Amino acid sequence: MKNPSVDTHLLPADSGTIGTEPLLAVDNLHVEFTTRQGVARAVNGVSYALNAGETLAVLGESGSGKSVTAQAIMGILDMPPARIPKGQIRFRGTDLLQLSEAQRSQIRGQQIAMIFQDALSALNPVFTVGWQIAEMFRVHKGMSKKAAYAKAVELMDRVRIPAAKQRVNDYPHQFSGGMRQRIMIAMSIALDPEVLIADEPTTALDVTVQAQIMELLAELQRESNMGLILITHDLGVVADVADKIAVMYGGRIVENAPVHDIYGNAAHPYTKGLLESIPRVDMKGQELYAIKGLPPNLLDMPTGCAFHPRCPFRQDDCVTDVPALHEISGTRSSACHYWREVLDGTAG
Amino acid sequence: MGRYVVRRLLQAIPVLLGTTFLIFTLVYWLPGDPIQALAGDRAVDPVFRATMREMFHLDEPLVVQYGYYIQGIFSGDFGTTFRGLPVSTIFEGKFQITLNLAMTALVIEAIVGIGLGLIAALRRGKATDTAILAFTLLLVSIPTLVSGFVLQLVLGLQLKTSTGIDFFPVAGTSEGWRSYLLPGIVLAGTSIAYLTRLTRTSLMETLRADYVRTAIAKGMPRRRVLGRHALRNSLIPLVTYLGADLGALMSGAVITETIFNLNGIGRQLVDSVYLSENSVVVGIVTVLVLIFIAANLIVDLLYAVLDPRIRYE
Repeated sequence: MKNPSVDTHLLPADSGTIGTEPLLAVDNLHVEFTTRQGVARAVNGVSYALNAGETLAVLGESGSGKSVTAQAIMGILDMPPARIPKGQIRFRGTDLLQLSEAQRSQIRGQQIAMIFQDALSALNPVFTVGWQIAEMFRVHKGMSKKAAYAKAVELMDRVRIPAAKQRVNDYPHQFSGGMRQRIMIAMSIALDPEVLIADEPTTALDVTVQAQIMELLAELQRESNMGLILITHDLGVVADVADKIAVMYGGRIVENAPVHDIYGNAAHPYTKGLLESIPRVDMKGQELYAIKGLPPNLLDMPTGCAFHPRCPFRQDDCVTDVPALHEISGTRSSACHYWREVLDGTAG
Repeated sequence: MGRYVVRRLLQAIPVLLGTTFLIFTLVYWLPGDPIQALAGDRAVDPVFRATMREMFHLDEPLVVQYGYYIQGIFSGDFGTTFRGLPVSTIFEGKFQITLNLAMTALVIEAIVGIGLGLIAALRRGKATDTAILAFTLLLVSIPTLVSGFVLQLVLGLQLKTSTGIDFFPVAGTSEGWRSYLLPGIVLAGTSIAYLTRLTRTSLMETLRADYVRTAIAKGMPRRRVLGRHALRNSLIPLVTYLGADLGALMSGAVITETIFNLNGIGRQLVDSVYLSENSVVVGIVTVLVLIFIAANLIVDLLYAVLDPRIRYE
């Protein structure tokens, strides 16, 4: 805005830590919400890392803490009721949680941007899409109205919205679902962020449009070499675009793996269950597999492994001992006491 | 848009006919003889009575009388009183006074009500919020009769005698716009309370909306998130309330006008009801209905400005 000194220069791009330090590192993050019923522990020690040009898919069902982690990175959690009692979120080596609100709002939108699930409710209904995109340039870069609108048209072209020049003054409700999500994407990449977080960007869209949006995201990422965090519960979406996967359950990461290792080769019973519940054409007519039971109650987490009440391979120590994240190889890890057995299919 | 306005104006005609007919009927059935009322306690000369009944079509059935009245209205003639004065001369200046009073109250209401509501919403759950809510409760609990005299005494008289500041005239309209300040505050009182609470609720709801979260995620400064992204969306219910309230303020000003000795339309309406001046009563109500319709039309048109999803064809 009017304070360019805080801009990109705030975070030393050439700092010595960059060599070893990933672009974005979430380290032992805890997030809890104070509710009337008690304290809901939504995130319980999540760690993951993201490098430039890399796509990390964060997988998990509703309530697994994947979106809350993302909102903590963005700094858009409502605090209170939310609280971050422990953990670090390091962006280029700087812990974002230690920055002032003014410093954080310089990073938000400019260096770390986010795409939301439902573009219809995420876009402001009373302003034109051009206004909403141009706002990024006007507020953060101090551009004139005219220049900012020209930039907006450029971006709408870049996300392949037909007749961008004519549509820049239309309102969100005048666009189709897919086009609205493109507007959302245009807005988020406006200032060339280094990290883009996409929170279930295709959930509200129909299948053919989903594929187009994922393709667009992958393409934009290749062009600008940004790090992409893709939050989803859809394993099908992940396979084509992600480099690595982090599976979350009950506010923890239960499995980390490069994308191609995980299919057909899960090292955690929950991941295995997720993979088996994907509908497949060659299984037509047979009953679809579903993980039994319900996600854990965040107010009253199960003892030991959070997944044990639903786990088909449960042993006695699963009920009492919280499994650590065991390293399987340099790039894989699993939070299961019996990861070896799960991995070679001898569990249970 | 143009066609929409025309359609809305055409729709106003049945509303106008319905309300005037209703009020005409009610006044028609009022007990008392208007011609006897002219003579007071003395007996009325039968010839005079017959002439008057003939002149004012009092022997005709209700519907025919109403027909004559409406015919007059559409040619701009509000009729004459039983005393022979044209109704329009009775209106002279009085609507202006009541309108000035209502507009003053509306402006005070909008500024104070929306302001307090904003503060309460942003300080939700804190002491400021509780204090504002308690204040609104106090406002609705104080009758106009009390607030009117207390303000006259404190701001009008005591302020003048203790500090020499003579800013709030306590009666009449001789001081221009300042004359309307105290009565405006008194008249706006209850509405301020409602508007404060409405603003608070509306803004709190908007602040939870996804697009507000988006604006924060875009790195927009807090002031802009509130003032641009949230406020604009919260305004729609407020505009609705303000529009409807203009009518209420105009027709509800009787007590305030009496306390502050304003020669407005409210007092005229009450006087005319007592005097069985049917043509004046119906005339006043007709004009009030017109103002009400106009205010609602403006509100509807403002919707389209505030929310582009609302479009009229």
